[in-house]
Amino acid sequence: MDFLNSLLVQPFADMFAAPDFLMQVLWEGLVSGILYALIALGFVLIFRSSRIFNFAQGIMVVFAALTLVGFHEMGVPAWISVILSLGVMFVLAVSIERVVLRPLVGQPDIILFMATIGITLFLIGFGELIFGGENKIMITEELGIPTGEFIFEPFGGFLLLEQKDVTAVVVAAVLVIALLAFLNKTRMGRAIRALGDDHQAALSVGISLQTIWVLVWFIAGIIALVTGIAWGARAGVSFALEVIAYKALPVLMLGGLESITGAIIGGLMIGLFEKLFEIYWGQPLLGGNTETWFAFVLALFVLLFRPQGLFGERIIERV
Amino acid sequence: MKLWKKLAAATALTVIAGGAMAEGLYAPNMAYRTGPFAALGIPLMNGQADYMTMLNERDGGVGGVPVDFSECETGYSTEKGVECYEKTKGTAIVTQPWSTGITLQVLPKTNVDEIPILAPGYGFSPMSEGGTFQWAYNPPASYWDGAYMIVSHIAGGDMSTLKGKKIAFLHLDHPFGKEPLPLLEQMAEEHGFELVPVPVGLKEMQNQSAQWLQIRRERPDNVIMWGWGAMNSAAIQEAVKTRYPMDQFYGVWWAGHDPDLAAVGEEGKGYKSISWSMPQPDSGLMADIKKYVIDTGKTQTTEDQLNSVFYQRGLVMSMMLAEGIKAAQEHTGNATIGPKDLRWGLENLNITDEKLAELGMEGMVPPFSTSCSNHTGHSGAWILEWDGAKFTQASDLLQADQSVIKSLAEAKAAEYADANAPWPVVECDS
Repeated sequence: MDFLNSLLVQPFADMFAAPDFLMQVLWEGLVSGILYALIALGFVLIFRSSRIFNFAQGIMVVFAALTLVGFHEMGVPAWISVILSLGVMFVLAVSIERVVLRPLVGQPDIILFMATIGITLFLIGFGELIFGGENKIMITEELGIPTGEFIFEPFGGFLLLEQKDVTAVVVAAVLVIALLAFLNKTRMGRAIRALGDDHQAALSVGISLQTIWVLVWFIAGIIALVTGIAWGARAGVSFALEVIAYKALPVLMLGGLESITGAIIGGLMIGLFEKLFEIYWGQPLLGGNTETWFAFVLALFVLLFRPQGLFGERIIERV
Repeated sequence: MKLWKKLAAATALTVIAGGAMAEGLYAPNMAYRTGPFAALGIPLMNGQADYMTMLNERDGGVGGVPVDFSECETGYSTEKGVECYEKTKGTAIVTQPWSTGITLQVLPKTNVDEIPILAPGYGFSPMSEGGTFQWAYNPPASYWDGAYMIVSHIAGGDMSTLKGKKIAFLHLDHPFGKEPLPLLEQMAEEHGFELVPVPVGLKEMQNQSAQWLQIRRERPDNVIMWGWGAMNSAAIQEAVKTRYPMDQFYGVWWAGHDPDLAAVGEEGKGYKSISWSMPQPDSGLMADIKKYVIDTGKTQTTEDQLNSVFYQRGLVMSMMLAEGIKAAQEHTGNATIGPKDLRWGLENLNITDEKLAELGMEGMVPPFSTSCSNHTGHSGAWILEWDGAKFTQASDLLQADQSVIKSLAEAKAAEYADANAPWPVVECDS
């Protein structure tokens, strides 16, 4: 009876008893969710255009953030460092297309997936050689990102929103809208979608595979840089960030590998639900640290009923 | 330029190590200069390597025999650590596992392979029981020593003041992070305080908002952090954000890295870390390190790290190994020693104030000695406090109550021996 009470009654009683705390939990979940969604977006973009599951997206987040901080440490002004970092991500995209992907055109998907694991290992080693393994401080203030706090007193309680988190949420939202507009309203965007829908048909109407691959890897690089800035501002820049990026995997399972909407909604759902579960069920009943597995279990349940994810396309293969 | 310097230094160190290996004492270090824990590993490993380089350059090694201090990179991964152990055990005189997880994996092999483990300030706390763990050494203080001293400092020396208090234990969900739990649980029961364990998953080290929301909800009187690598800097930033009073926030000796606190600067003022080492910028050792290692470019460190807590702790760690080798050489009368000889040396360490003065290391570590029955030394430790810009000494030398630690260590050592039977146990005279 006690167990049922702590499972079904107590968590909701706690939520009602301290609504300000619940709001704080929801806010922290929202911020995490937005960042998960951003990482997942990088995966989705590349998967849509090339059917490649890009295992390197996580390390691209670290590499982009380290490049930015690295340029600034060399005395380059913050916003020039951002531009130079984008340049590096573009060079990276071109190099990956030329050196890794182009020779593997037509190979099975698993080969391309393995190639992205190779890219991951290369970027880890190359990044550590250039930038070292020490934690770096994100140049938050230098970029003009506000570092103060908004403090509210809802229901006579206490709610703290860090301005850098608010900025991250706003920038992420703008980035997603811009990305959707690009994919739906521009020729290049439509070419990316066409390539995702049918490679052969897209190639037959003159869409350049090489150009599109460079473009999507570069966009994934831009997303990686934004994510790296946002997460680096919260907890510093280190190679541990790469591990967080694996949180995008359940987001993709939940939302569907091809769906941008799925990545966004999946990211937000996982961010919010894992935080709520950890605080109101995980910590009191299971001793905490449920965030390491909750998202995967949630995704597993979804896969049981919708193998293509909530927003993924059902693939029917005739044999 | 910095990249080329790093490459040149790495190449030079490899060449030096390779050259020395042919006829030197092979003392490999299972380093982690890569991965999520590298921020902590790099200064420590630089300190360790630089001490040995200094001895090789100044004295031709230890007892005239050069020391090959090659590194085997583990990235703090237990699997890779075991691979390193298997790769090096044929010629190594010591295993420096550098992770509690690796130590626990290698520990059962020591009785068979007969290579001593040297795990300064880490590993399995009951390794202090030399009768049971004949091949394992964790001087100068164990994690249980550290946990006891932190709780004692919170209590102001009077454990009765802990009654009714609530202490959160923020720890890495890993063998290292869980290591002090048996002692803390026992102390909580004995002294009437509530212990709230708050685990942080390896994958969530930089995503600790849930843990700090729990701390906000629980409102503990104190937080004790058993963190490693990127977990520490993220926790300190979350503590600042949560507005947790920093003067009530304590960390183990691996959670007192200068750059982690520098990231929050003034807002981290009051944060405390227990430490069995203390930087001494003006010591004789540092002058020699500068002369023989830094100025000659035989290092991977940068000058701004030289006086950091972790770099100088790395120096202290290698000093323990070098003194163990010296003791073994004197005992056997041979300059070239094997792992069994080193085991004797590590069991007979006698680091007195006079010895520290002779080594130019006064004040860098408290005096301690080891014996057959005491593989830790239980040197005691100081509380260091962040003053907004650097760590300063905030307490006299603290000591753990060995009557408490010893009885628990004996019980857990016996439990370990039973669980791994047949496990050889010897009676110690000293």
